[in-house]
Amino acid sequence: MEERTTISIKNTIGDAYGVEAEDGQKVFELIKKAIDAGYKVTLSFLNIEMLTTAFLNTAIGQLYKDYSEQEIKASLQITDISESGKVALKRVVDTAKLFYKNPEALRNSIDDILGE
Amino acid sequence: MSELFHINNSYESYQKIISFYQQNKDLLFDDIHISIKSWFSANMSASLGAVLDLFIDNINSIHFDHIPPKTEDILLKNGFLTFYGKEGKADINHTTIKYQKLKPTDGKYFKAYVIDELIGRSELPSMSDPLKEKMVEAIYEIFVNAQIHSKSNVIYTCGQFFPAKNKIEFTIVDTGIGFKANVDKKFNVNLHACQAIKWAVQDRNTTKDITGGIGLAVLKEFVHKNNGYMQIVSGDGFYEFNKNGEKTASFTGKFPGTIVNLQFSTNDNSNYCLASEIDINNIF
Repeated sequence: MEERTTISIKNTIGDAYGVEAEDGQKVFELIKKAIDAGYKVTLSFLNIEMLTTAFLNTAIGQLYKDYSEQEIKASLQITDISESGKVALKRVVDTAKLFYKNPEALRNSIDDILGE
Repeated sequence: MSELFHINNSYESYQKIISFYQQNKDLLFDDIHISIKSWFSANMSASLGAVLDLFIDNINSIHFDHIPPKTEDILLKNGFLTFYGKEGKADINHTTIKYQKLKPTDGKYFKAYVIDELIGRSELPSMSDPLKEKMVEAIYEIFVNAQIHSKSNVIYTCGQFFPAKNKIEFTIVDTGIGFKANVDKKFNVNLHACQAIKWAVQDRNTTKDITGGIGLAVLKEFVHKNNGYMQIVSGDGFYEFNKNGEKTASFTGKFPGTIVNLQFSTNDNSNYCLASEIDINNIF
């Protein structure tokens, strides 16, 4: 039987506002610890009132640095996220996939600016 | 005596603040006399406060020799002048958003400030809850950016309601390293400040070592829909984005950090809570 754990964002960061990158880092480390120990993770956004992409980048986006898309799909489940949170998370995830797949893209975008 | 004449949120006004900084930045153990003439947009307290603190770091004394009575009244109500030895005033019209100096680690305090000054205010009946939420989200993104990128010791914030125009101006200022230094260092290039800002506001561009670069792009989309604007002053670069597009310009002299000024329309009836078609079970 699979081992599953629930991580409450509210409890991890200590309040209802998932806005600071540093708070996201706490969530990231907890998810990582659980996945590395072989657990499936349910990440609960219950009672979270505000989210920034800066928070979601560190909490979830950077998982794509350490795990493949398949591993993340298999290990992580999201619950109780708001509609606006869903939109932000989708954007964070799509950006993270590209960022870790193609690290040269940013360098190229600088060259574009220089070429204008 | 330095004169600050008609300071609003125009390119010219930022140039006046920069020139004021450049004229006085090398003074040590001196007296700096300021005369405010004509209009002074209250949210610009954040920009002026940041500059004045750099003068104070050089043990200069600040003297406001002249402020028009109406302006003084507002700068007492938003608390700005209380940092310079004057006694504050209660804001019975509730049009000011307090001037604050925060440490980058004051995130929790900033949350309380934003809630008290923006979300919790009952005198903004025209604003829907999703609009307020989007506005606050935007303001957070800027604050968090200053926290992460600026390496500034202090973050200055201030705002102002303009009920007759249905507008809110909200300004966040730091005296950190600015857009150019961050981008130059990351990519070992030598961009103009305008190029660095233009690059940074594009979706998915980031100088962090981890994924990111979404906040400013989301903010641009929001101000476009809201019919507001976003202005960035960083070093000698000026950037403005509104529904008509983006424009950049150079200043004579540099601002010693970054100003981000946001204008929001409070009479915006756009729907900000569209049900998304995103399947949360298939988001990864």
